[in-house]
Amino acid sequence: MRVLPNPTLFGMRVSVLFGLYRRRLRDHTVTELLAGGGIAIGVALVFGVLVANGSIIGSVREDVRAVGGSADLELVARSPATFSARLADRIASLPGVERSASLLREYGVIVGPRGSERVQFVGLDPGLITLGGFATKNLGSGELLLARGVGLPSQLASAIGAETRRMVTLVVNGSSSRVRVRAVLNSGTIGPLASVPLVAALLPYAQAIAGTPGQVNQVLIKPRAGSERQVTAELRALAGNTLDVGPADNEVRLAETAAVPVNRSTSLFVAIAAMVGFLLALNAMLLTIPERRRAIADMRIQGFDVKQVLAIVVFQALVLGIVASCVGVVAGDLLARTLFHEVPSYLATAFPVTGNQTVHAGTVLVAFGCGLLAALLVSLSPIFDLRSDRPVDAVFHETGEPGQTLTHRTTVRAAALGAILIVLVSVCVLLDAALTVFGGVVLALAALCFIPLLFQATCRALKGFARRWHGGMVAVAAIEINGTATRSVALAGVAALAVYGVVAVGGARHDLLRGLDNAITEEWGSAPVWVTPDGNIFDADGFRVENPANPFAGAGTTVASVHIHQGGFLDLGTHRIWVRAVPANNSTMVLSSQLLKGDLASATARMREGGWATVSSGLAEEHHLHTGGRLLLPTPSGIAPLRVAAITTNTGWPSGTISVNTRDYSRYWLSTTPTAISLSLRPGVTPAAGRDLVKGLLKSQPSLRVQTSQERIAEVESSVRQGLRTLSEISTLLLVVAALALATALSTAIYQRRARLSSLKAQGFDRGQLWRCLLLESAIVLGIGCLDGVVMGVYAHALGDRYLRLDVGFPAPFSVGGAQVVLTLLLMLGIALAIIALPGYSAAGVSARASFQE
Amino acid sequence: MTLELREVSKHYDGAGEAVAAVDRVSLTVAPGEFVALYGPSGSGKTTLLMLAAAIMTPDAGSVLFDGLEVSSLTASESARYRRERTGVVFQSFHLTGASALENAAVKLLALGMTLGEAQNAARPWLERVGLGERIEHTPAQMSMGERQRVAIARALANDPDLLLADEPTGNLDSKRSREILELLAEICRERQVPVLLVTHDPQATSFVDRVYTLRDGKLTEGLALDLHASIAQ
Repeated sequence: MRVLPNPTLFGMRVSVLFGLYRRRLRDHTVTELLAGGGIAIGVALVFGVLVANGSIIGSVREDVRAVGGSADLELVARSPATFSARLADRIASLPGVERSASLLREYGVIVGPRGSERVQFVGLDPGLITLGGFATKNLGSGELLLARGVGLPSQLASAIGAETRRMVTLVVNGSSSRVRVRAVLNSGTIGPLASVPLVAALLPYAQAIAGTPGQVNQVLIKPRAGSERQVTAELRALAGNTLDVGPADNEVRLAETAAVPVNRSTSLFVAIAAMVGFLLALNAMLLTIPERRRAIADMRIQGFDVKQVLAIVVFQALVLGIVASCVGVVAGDLLARTLFHEVPSYLATAFPVTGNQTVHAGTVLVAFGCGLLAALLVSLSPIFDLRSDRPVDAVFHETGEPGQTLTHRTTVRAAALGAILIVLVSVCVLLDAALTVFGGVVLALAALCFIPLLFQATCRALKGFARRWHGGMVAVAAIEINGTATRSVALAGVAALAVYGVVAVGGARHDLLRGLDNAITEEWGSAPVWVTPDGNIFDADGFRVENPANPFAGAGTTVASVHIHQGGFLDLGTHRIWVRAVPANNSTMVLSSQLLKGDLASATARMREGGWATVSSGLAEEHHLHTGGRLLLPTPSGIAPLRVAAITTNTGWPSGTISVNTRDYSRYWLSTTPTAISLSLRPGVTPAAGRDLVKGLLKSQPSLRVQTSQERIAEVESSVRQGLRTLSEISTLLLVVAALALATALSTAIYQRRARLSSLKAQGFDRGQLWRCLLLESAIVLGIGCLDGVVMGVYAHALGDRYLRLDVGFPAPFSVGGAQVVLTLLLMLGIALAIIALPGYSAAGVSARASFQE
Repeated sequence: MTLELREVSKHYDGAGEAVAAVDRVSLTVAPGEFVALYGPSGSGKTTLLMLAAAIMTPDAGSVLFDGLEVSSLTASESARYRRERTGVVFQSFHLTGASALENAAVKLLALGMTLGEAQNAARPWLERVGLGERIEHTPAQMSMGERQRVAIARALANDPDLLLADEPTGNLDSKRSREILELLAEICRERQVPVLLVTHDPQATSFVDRVYTLRDGKLTEGLALDLHASIAQ
């Protein structure tokens, strides 16, 4: 008979280890669940935020690969220009080029029976299929599938209610066309692009719709092996000063740069979430430590040697860590799919960002590793009892809860370490603002370091108060939490970290929104009525107005003047910058609320004069630009020699902003296409009346939006808020999860102190007194954590604002949002105390009998 | 101020039938009298102590202290009775990680004292039990005997009229046990309070005024011979 191998760990059979753990689970179900829950929450937060973060750029990467396939290089026009498709033919005939395909990409709006969506309209050259991208390889030649019509990804078709063979309206460059839906393309046909808001058509058809016959704006190229350098050089020669040559995945790099500020903010949350999760697990394990230590002592008395005890402890930690991490990864995946699924609309205006979730093995490993590490670290503390100089049964002779004392020396050392960390962070961040996110993580650690000191000081202050004034239960609470110092400090640490994260990131977010609101109000408040294309908050999509000679001829008694605004995105290195072109007679040539360096009057005068531009601070720093200095900007007409009139904020676009006047824009960008029209009204005409009149004049162009300035401001502010909603949701989730987990941990801690509560009952405390005492204890622990979190959070918020201003160029004037801080504290304390009240009352009803050893 | 148990009975439900933990027990402990209660494990000793502390109510009979019908008190009245009139010493001390002074004073906070008043009231008792120099030490820094002294000081801090001790030497070695028993006997004489001691400690017979044995819920005066032999071993 074949004997099955029986694996062992440190001389212990694995089957025996499983048996022991089963017994442990049976006897200590609640504490094991609590420990596992803490780890799972931490893993879920880390995994959810990492996936949500990675998915933003991951979806761009997937989309670029799905279309570009094996292409390595691209030749692109500078927006909004196009170039002749004949250039694409010349590229295809270059000896070093193995395959190439040309595309026409324009942004537009599609209108179906159930609604409209902003889309990227893509004209495809059949040569694209030869590049082997996942999105095109199943399209066959595309001739049959897309002939004389368009293909819609299934998600978009569903959103607007479009069906195969039905007609939809497509608005590109301000012109409406009725087009037939030839195919609804699902993920089986076009892969991840099935959820991208794009409309695909064959190139000639797309050129006709876009009004650019024979024109394309991108050529994807796959050079022959070994010919990359030669092809690049040839492409550069063909591109001259008016086109750009770069890697085929340049779009990904540009998107990465634009997403940096949000990614860094969420990275801070990842780190904080990891620490919160670890502390929750630590708390849960701290609750189990007395019992674990007694179990270890029991085992040793029964004859288990040190190695065997270690095997049992490590095995149980691994099982707990693996199971909890698995649960955490699943919960995190759910979070990423639901709560963190929001696509920042500001990124979607310039990149094919979708809600597609991309999960990499590395992300799973990081989250899993965090869970395992937490389980191992917190499980191993009882092994200090295995020291050779310690009696086997020492734990049975200790009083109170072992390991719950914090010495004065430890407290002082921790506080000193915290102070050193603050100084180090301050110095580093002052030297290089880009280190702010790393500094934020270190400040979170510093916040933890101060808790023992705060804890000691608070207990001392409360006792001082109770020594003089009648606050009996305050004193009892202070005395009692002294007896569980380590656990109380760890619990306060969770509160501190959650509040720290919310105050730091929430505060910076609040200031950023305030700064952006100022910019939005100033920009769109400069005229009472606005005409814009549907869907782009950055005023970067061009449109045509019918009757271009004088579209508002019939409004002479209402409209005083008409101003054409222009703009678009321009790729400069790794930045897709927003070019804002303002008419010379506009009152907000330079936004005063966004001016950082330079004089408003002279900058405005220079901008009106022409040849001058304002540049956002991040770009100015990267290109060493200063007021009065020269700026050489690559434009569709070649290099535009401009001078810097002033340095401004980025007015909300993270990659950077440049403002010029519309005359310069038309000259260098070779375009007169408006992206917005502002209308000033005659005296006595209300904005609403002006809006209604203009709406009537433009009724044949439903894709154009006519709004009063208030309506436009509200719409843009709402879009900006939506873009930052994920940050807000993560911070609220972190706070609520921390409050719930704290309430659970505190409730369990209270439940485990039944013997002590019973002894107080036997000494004459009644239920009401004990209940008040328990609530006060919880409030003190949470209060210490919250206070620490608020103070450190406000400091991190100030550093965060500085980073946003200096490193990214966002308008983020620092201010402490008192109401927001109070709301955060109330939320944390309210949720936790409300939950604790019931188990606290139940625990306070413990019988005095339990204190006697019958 | 005499503790009086009159025909007290207390039953527990055990395996479908009522088990008499205390069966028609009558006992009187006079002021300044130190009484020890012996009995095998599970004999009902601690139940008797809890009846005297108004932690339990008897099924029959009555418990009186200084004329007060302890057995008919409500939950809040019994809590008040314990915090104002009794002191309880436990086998496992029930101390927190706070200082000896705070541990000893904690009970007085339930009486509505300020922490300062409570500490001032507890300090002399810590001095009385020989810990005057160690009031700021925590239990972790003390020996087992010292910890029990802190617990005794806590029991005495409210200047109780009745002292109840549940196996106070159960976790101590012989020398420390003797010291604690000696201390309890001294306090009993000095304060002229009745002291009811539940114990297994053979040394206790040397310090108490009277000894009782509780077996199967029945109380008999003196130490049963078999019990004497077993605890002597």
